[in-house]
Amino acid sequence: MGERLPDDARRAAESIGQAGVVIGIPSYNNGRTIGHVVRAANAGLAKYFPQFTGVVINSDGGSTDDTREAVLSSRVEDGHLMLLSTPMGVAHRLSFPYHGIPGKGSAFRLIFQMASALGAKACAVIDSDLRSITPEWIEHLLRPILLAGFDFVAPYYHRHKYDGTITNSIVYPLTRSLYGLRVRQPIGGEFGVSARLIARYLERDDWETDVARYGIDIWMTTIAMAEGFRVCQSFLGAKLHDAKDPGADLSAMLHQVVGSVFMLMREYESVWRPLAASKEAALFGFRFDVGLDPVEVNVERMVAAFHKGCQELGEVWAVALQPETYAQVRKLGENTGEDAKAFHLEDELWTRVILDFACAYQKRRVVSGHLMQSLTPLYLARVASFVQETRTLSSAEVENKIEQLCLKFEELKPYLLSQWAGDPATRPDGQPALDGSEREKEMKLEV
Amino acid sequence: MVETMRKVLEGVLERLYKYVTIYLPSLLAALILFLAAFVTAVLARWLLYRIFKGPTIDRFLRRSGVAFMLDPSGHLRATRLVAEGVYWCLLLAGFLLGLSVFDTDITTQAIQKLVFLMPKIVVAGLILLAGVALGQYLGRGMLVWAVNEDFPFPRRLATVVRIVIMFVAVVVAADQLEFARDVFLAAFIILVGGGVLTVSLAVGLGAGRGFRRYFEEKTQKSEEPAERSLWNHL
Repeated sequence: MGERLPDDARRAAESIGQAGVVIGIPSYNNGRTIGHVVRAANAGLAKYFPQFTGVVINSDGGSTDDTREAVLSSRVEDGHLMLLSTPMGVAHRLSFPYHGIPGKGSAFRLIFQMASALGAKACAVIDSDLRSITPEWIEHLLRPILLAGFDFVAPYYHRHKYDGTITNSIVYPLTRSLYGLRVRQPIGGEFGVSARLIARYLERDDWETDVARYGIDIWMTTIAMAEGFRVCQSFLGAKLHDAKDPGADLSAMLHQVVGSVFMLMREYESVWRPLAASKEAALFGFRFDVGLDPVEVNVERMVAAFHKGCQELGEVWAVALQPETYAQVRKLGENTGEDAKAFHLEDELWTRVILDFACAYQKRRVVSGHLMQSLTPLYLARVASFVQETRTLSSAEVENKIEQLCLKFEELKPYLLSQWAGDPATRPDGQPALDGSEREKEMKLEV
Repeated sequence: MVETMRKVLEGVLERLYKYVTIYLPSLLAALILFLAAFVTAVLARWLLYRIFKGPTIDRFLRRSGVAFMLDPSGHLRATRLVAEGVYWCLLLAGFLLGLSVFDTDITTQAIQKLVFLMPKIVVAGLILLAGVALGQYLGRGMLVWAVNEDFPFPRRLATVVRIVIMFVAVVVAADQLEFARDVFLAAFIILVGGGVLTVSLAVGLGAGRGFRRYFEEKTQKSEEPAERSLWNHL
């Protein structure tokens, strides 16, 4: 199981003995919202899984506010609220600070260790900053595991068209094209996990990497998909949550999430290499439309960041990207100027950028930290372009645009395969590859 | 009077003849050796340009960033590097061979010094290479960070980092070669001290307000809900 449980957690597990289901809530300074999340979790356990001993575990990263007190004191007092004929049982509530690298992944590790120590049949993890969570979320995350034999339940919710941009522009299309399964929110933050899959997570030795931080979500989803565990999705409604730490660094998040995707690509090469298309993952729950918080964006700043990247990051991009891709990126920077309204980064170029970065990561063309951080201006360019394109579109139309991008990722998989293997035989336009001297000449002309 | 002049002239001619007979063959031999070395060097360079393909070294140069430092357009290739290196090594060898023909104390000492210096030159070269690699790593880190943080002049910042690291490497290499130790050390101390003083004065007196405004703008930007909501939703 790797690292052993901290003493206080071990004592708590021993005093409870056995538990059927565990709800894990990672937190860091979420005193404002975590009380609501814990109440929803308690109510969900009491209403939908009264036959099981339920435990709600808060794994805290050293909050300086009243997060832990809010967890331990919150309870659903009135059973009538839930229209229950019998009094609601109260689940155990525990709160521990986790140890090791600060981050969401380390918090999850403690939760899974506890779930394993308690012998839980299923475990759900939910974010502590949720405002839209209801007790039904607990049912939707756990029931497919307990009653339908699934191992991993990913969330499926409505989000504003400009929310979840790393998911929409990189993680979902890339994961889907690689592993052949359409899990719409692979880094959603709320998951249901079976005991079998928890055991698999805990026996792995890469917890001290980016997995310890924001890489945990895609790590969990990828392992479930790549190792043949039964994966499904559950419709949860709308995802509304507090804005995260304003000081959080975008490029660090991008680095951790996308770096984890690339790291797992190396490990599961034999799994994704032969897969050519994708299929829908089973979806549970009754779908309905919901209102969403508006998200304002500043396209001008994103385009300006891209132009700055074009001017300054040539030495990294020239190594990371294929010459043809790099030339087109440069051309885009030169042709569009600072006019954000005319800015457009087409799906094919974006897809090639991501696939080239994946290959550069695999071949260690640039130190991985520098490589991943240099992706930030390109990512902002893609988001700016996406916002421009979808400004007047409805949610369904935006979903269709995302689908087009996913199909482009699937279409360019042969390009990924050839670049990944270091075979220059295929160019993205299908033309025969250039030999060394021609390639050099072309670079001189274009760079 | 005439007789005396004749004797003097004869003496001069005799001495000239003696020097010519002693040194001219050696000089000619040295010139021939140097010319042969030059021709060999040119030939070797030509051949290397023709036959040498150095993709592995090219890759190293590109990945380490050395290619971009020596040639900002990024077109520096291993072929050129190796061919020019071999060319200059052969020229140096020819020059030393030519000197050895004279077989005088001074030339022998000079050659001995050069030969004994070789290991130190190699070590100094390795130190410089390590400096280049470290400078590139830290410089690139600074570049990417400064671009993402929207700092002004990221490339110049990265260049400053690279120059500082390279300067430290040069000081250490010079110390290894026992070449102008005090001069380099003094220059290093003066430059670092001067740099620190300049930055302190700039921040304290002149640029304090500018820095404050810059950081205030950054704080305001990070507090704008539009930016926050986009950048923090995965």
